[in-house]
Amino acid sequence: MDLVLQLLFTGIGIGAVYALVALGFVLIFRATNVVNFAQGEFSMVAAYLMVVFAVDLGWPYWLSFLIALAGMALLGMIFNLGVYYPLRHRSYLPVIIATIGASILLANSVLAIYGPQPQVLQGWFETPGIQLGPVYLDSQYLLIIAVTIALVIFNYWFFEHTLLGKKLQATSQDKEMASLLGISVSTMIMITFIYSAVLGGLAGILVAPILFVSIQMGSTIALKAFAATIIGGFGDVAGAIIGGLALGVIETFGAAYISVPYKDGFAFLVLVAFLIFRPQGIFGERVAEKA
Amino acid sequence: MSLTRRDFAAGIVAGLAAPSIITSARAQASTIKIGMCAPVTGPAAESGGYAIKGAKLALDAVNKAGGILGKQAELIVEDDQTTNPGIVLAFSKLAAQSDIVAFLGSIRSTQVHAMAPDVLKLGKPVMIGGTDPNLTHMGNQWLFRFRPNDSYSGRVIAEYGVNTLGKKKWAILHSTDAFGTAGGKALSAALEKLGSPAVLDQGYANQSQDFTPVVLAIKQSGADILGSYFTFENDLGIFARQLRQLGVNIPWVGSPSIVNITALKLAGPALYNTYGVADYAEDSSEASKAFGKAYREVAKVAPDNQSSWTYDAINVLAAAINKAGSTEPGKIREAILAIKKFPGAEGEYNFDQNGDGLHGYNIVKNDKGNIAFDKHIEFTD
Repeated sequence: MDLVLQLLFTGIGIGAVYALVALGFVLIFRATNVVNFAQGEFSMVAAYLMVVFAVDLGWPYWLSFLIALAGMALLGMIFNLGVYYPLRHRSYLPVIIATIGASILLANSVLAIYGPQPQVLQGWFETPGIQLGPVYLDSQYLLIIAVTIALVIFNYWFFEHTLLGKKLQATSQDKEMASLLGISVSTMIMITFIYSAVLGGLAGILVAPILFVSIQMGSTIALKAFAATIIGGFGDVAGAIIGGLALGVIETFGAAYISVPYKDGFAFLVLVAFLIFRPQGIFGERVAEKA
Repeated sequence: MSLTRRDFAAGIVAGLAAPSIITSARAQASTIKIGMCAPVTGPAAESGGYAIKGAKLALDAVNKAGGILGKQAELIVEDDQTTNPGIVLAFSKLAAQSDIVAFLGSIRSTQVHAMAPDVLKLGKPVMIGGTDPNLTHMGNQWLFRFRPNDSYSGRVIAEYGVNTLGKKKWAILHSTDAFGTAGGKALSAALEKLGSPAVLDQGYANQSQDFTPVVLAIKQSGADILGSYFTFENDLGIFARQLRQLGVNIPWVGSPSIVNITALKLAGPALYNTYGVADYAEDSSEASKAFGKAYREVAKVAPDNQSSWTYDAINVLAAAINKAGSTEPGKIREAILAIKKFPGAEGEYNFDQNGDGLHGYNIVKNDKGNIAFDKHIEFTD
């Protein structure tokens, strides 16, 4: 039982990281109908910003955190203007390719500026974790889980109970109708990119003390997060959260009880099973029904 | 003036011969080129930078001492991107340059395996740092190794743990790539010979984000000592932290990556009091000390095996070509295999007919972040 609890905690912790990045995927997909393959790089860039502010410049952690997130908001804005906006009237394919190009550009820009050395970023808390009976709770994972829960509540409130949230929802559901109702579609998409970049950045900053800060950290997480969005149902906020958490738990238990080397395999096995038997994901609607 | 048939023929001959004569003349005056495949990008980019610095340090010394065959030597670096396709591409780019006389390959066995068929096809000497024993035992006569292979590291880890630390219940943890699998097998075989077969033999995939299941398996196995073969420092850092957090404090003897500077930086106190087999230990010999001093001055970081093997490879290669008096691949090969008692940063080189230059390892201890030399264990069989 101790083993199960320990694995469950770790699985939920790592799953929460996937969920945060998956959320960014989903929000952009809902608003623009394209997958942003640079979402993982948003996490990586934010982690490096934290290293610059908190480690290199020695600024207080909370201040570095706020500035890094502000930096991510700016990056989201630039990303929208430079990558999505010029291609907005084209089909989804050029936009997706542009996001792949942007992800390569971001990774190599950080490599050129900061070098290839992995960096250490301390966690928010000085205590690395707490022993709760037989289970060790890593303080950083606890923080990640808490932030994920908070974001679920915040997203619900924001999208269901605020005018801006409803405008964003309207834009994601039908851009033409939203435009006819006087909603500035371009502004809504801009806000979506900013919010997604901040979310991706938040995931990167939270996971950096566990996985270290490296150029590859974003792509590793993004691949799993992408799988999580498909499992949860592409385009569904709750699906991204559930998909991420499920993926984290499945791969952790799969590694413990079946095979460690094939840990990543379990995640993608689940993905393949969903693509075959329930391509719309857990919460997704059937495409035929939509039409 | 009319053009006769003889004039025309002479013109054609002159025209055809001219590029060859010019190329030959240029070759006479040019440098001796050595190609190097190194990870400039990818997960091993940091250690790749150290490898290039080590090679350049040796090259500068060789050039200051008169060069190779009286010419200055030049290093041509191609990025292998820390991937197998990357190194195949990098090597093919270098191999296309016919004036490159020899090459430095990878420290990663899996990459050496990937490039090995092309090496065999090209038929020119390639210095390697990959430690999978098979690399020099699979009929490829052009691979020359500048680090002790894993059959030695496995034996040294086993012997130190069993006979010096007195531990009998072993957990083995290794990556599932060529390096980790070969190392894990070597350690497992050595432990069986010593009468202490492993109670857990666990592989893991590179670039794992979480090692909780592995740590719990070690805990449940009842092992009283851990032997490991990690390929990437990121993985080692994550595992080391989780191992200590989950309360596993058994002695740990690891492959060389456990004492390299990136791992020390990432894992910090989680690696204190661990042991490592190290092909490079600064205090193990006068040649090692001299390299350490020169490297620190140039690179401004502590030396490790990433830079020491390339340093030795260039020095041995230069000595072999000078001794052979030729850049003909077969003659270079014979000269390398004839090298005995060559003092290198990694140890004393005595090449055997397989192309292995070193036959033993140092044991070092992580003493609060400082790597202290403990003992050298050499094998003659």
